[in-house]
Amino acid sequence: MTSIQIEDLQFQYPGGNDPALNPTSFEIKNGEAFAILGASGAGKTTLLNLLSGLLEPTSGLIKFNNVPVNRLSSRDRNLAQVFQFPILYEALSVQENLEFPLKARKFDSVFINKRTKTILDHLEIAELRNRQIRELSLFQKQLVSIGKSLVRPDTSVVLLDEPLTAVEPRVKWKLRDTLRQIQKEQQLTMIYVTHDQTEALTFADRVAVMDQGDILQIDTPDTIYRLPDFKFVGTFIGSPGMNFLSSESILSKTPKPEGTQEIGFRPEWATLSSDLKGDFSGRVKTTYLTGTTLGAPSGITWVSTNSGDIAVKGALNHKPKEQVGINLKQFLAFRDQKRLTELSSV
Amino acid sequence: MFKIKDNRGWLGVLPVVLIVSFSGVVPLMAVVNYSVQDILDFNTRFFVGFQWYQETLQDSRFVEAFLRQIAFSLSVLSVEIPLGIVIARGMPRSGWLASLLLVLLAIPLLIPWNVVGTIWQLFARSDIGLLGVTLNQLGISYNYTANPVDAWLTVLAMDIWHWTSLVALLAFAGLSSVPTAYYQAAELDGASSWQVFRYIQLPRLRNVLIIAILLRLIDSFMIYTEPFVLTGGGPGNTTTFLSQYLATMAVGQFDLGPAAAFSVIYFLFTLLFCWIFYTSVTANHD
Repeated sequence: MTSIQIEDLQFQYPGGNDPALNPTSFEIKNGEAFAILGASGAGKTTLLNLLSGLLEPTSGLIKFNNVPVNRLSSRDRNLAQVFQFPILYEALSVQENLEFPLKARKFDSVFINKRTKTILDHLEIAELRNRQIRELSLFQKQLVSIGKSLVRPDTSVVLLDEPLTAVEPRVKWKLRDTLRQIQKEQQLTMIYVTHDQTEALTFADRVAVMDQGDILQIDTPDTIYRLPDFKFVGTFIGSPGMNFLSSESILSKTPKPEGTQEIGFRPEWATLSSDLKGDFSGRVKTTYLTGTTLGAPSGITWVSTNSGDIAVKGALNHKPKEQVGINLKQFLAFRDQKRLTELSSV
Repeated sequence: MFKIKDNRGWLGVLPVVLIVSFSGVVPLMAVVNYSVQDILDFNTRFFVGFQWYQETLQDSRFVEAFLRQIAFSLSVLSVEIPLGIVIARGMPRSGWLASLLLVLLAIPLLIPWNVVGTIWQLFARSDIGLLGVTLNQLGISYNYTANPVDAWLTVLAMDIWHWTSLVALLAFAGLSSVPTAYYQAAELDGASSWQVFRYIQLPRLRNVLIIAILLRLIDSFMIYTEPFVLTGGGPGNTTTFLSQYLATMAVGQFDLGPAAAFSVIYFLFTLLFCWIFYTSVTANHD
């Protein structure tokens, strides 16, 4: 398998005004599940196409195992890719589709049989083996597409471009787990492009968050969630995202790092109380039930304060229009959209 | 409760039915009517039953023209369809070059058929024509007015020049419907150019190719103007196809009864070939 080194990689579409990808350097480790997360238009697909060799970088280097591959064709990079919608040979059967990449690389037939069987079993579609592609449902076709991307044992990297778009929500989890399991077992380097934060955070060892052609942060899902480097990452990740308030209006008594313009805190880093003795106060706007905690209803409470609305996660003890005090357990300090410090406790 | 069936929709198709009746069905009925009569002049005619049909099918000139016609249609189809696909595959998908090539391809299709015949008649002449003179200068004896093989090859070349564009344009449209991701996936799979054609492009081209083959089959089977202008059916009868023999009969000799029977047989054969082709390619396919 393969590690990937990206060095000062930049891309601008011919005739385009702004670069689709601003200069960036990072490394994807061998056997790593790596997710690229961002809204549409953030540059995810551009980055993926650069890796797959469909686009040629405007400048910078792409290396596989420290060997530059800029000049190699897609085929010679030994990649496999799963597309947003199933891309299969419609005139062939499931088995023939899976055999195709192996036959093209001249594997012997005994190995081909064994390998395709393993993959079909893994994805639990062995019974589809002899079916024609046009007889399959969209979901089954996408499963076969995934199978086809995993079938070659000598693949360097598996690229997944929003692979679960065509998949029903109730099987998304299962399929993601299957992918993750195969990835771990076979120590595959997988790059998973998605706009869905749940998919990215649950699938990947590390996540790259992109916005407007910039890679803002590359970290483990946990760090991305707890310590967003940028305000954008804080608001983009989480549902609802991180709360941001200007630093002057609130928390006048709480010490803050020098130069703090805004503070950010996750909805679960705050608690509500009726005594108004919190760090600041506000009025409950609405509440949403999302589940129960120890039998008591819990969810999200939206509170309007002097400097904007904030969301607080936890027990739903307060009714709309009630005055509440808000206590912060911890927060992050931001200046010019960037994080200043590690977590500050209150 | 019962449902009142709304039949007003039929009124919408009435104009088409009327036009088709007058342009197609009524003349066809007239031809069928003629085909069972011996017409001496407009007031003197006898019912002869299927006599003309019998005579036509036993007429050796008809049978020869018919076999010639089949040979011609199969020859042009076997060149035009693959060549059209090759041209379409070789064209860029977009950009100014694609537009330019599309216009160039369309030119032969825009030329009136008798002009196509005239162009080739001059082009291929062995005394003053560019093609004819060049071939003879190269030491290849070529004279389409005297040598049946040369005449055949010239007629074939003319039809291929005239109609391959149609196949290429249709195939180009069919290929444009293949999403680029398919090519990308094939590239990653290590598929050869032939496999890309066989497993990605051909399945997508299937429907337009059926149309292309049908159109070319019908058109080539009815070819008249171009060989009439180019060779006049000669030398001898070697390039006399069905329609030309029919015209000689009906207009030249004024044998209306036999010509009508001939027409009906001709029509039924064309219909039969198209039906055989269409049902065989669409069988076993949803």
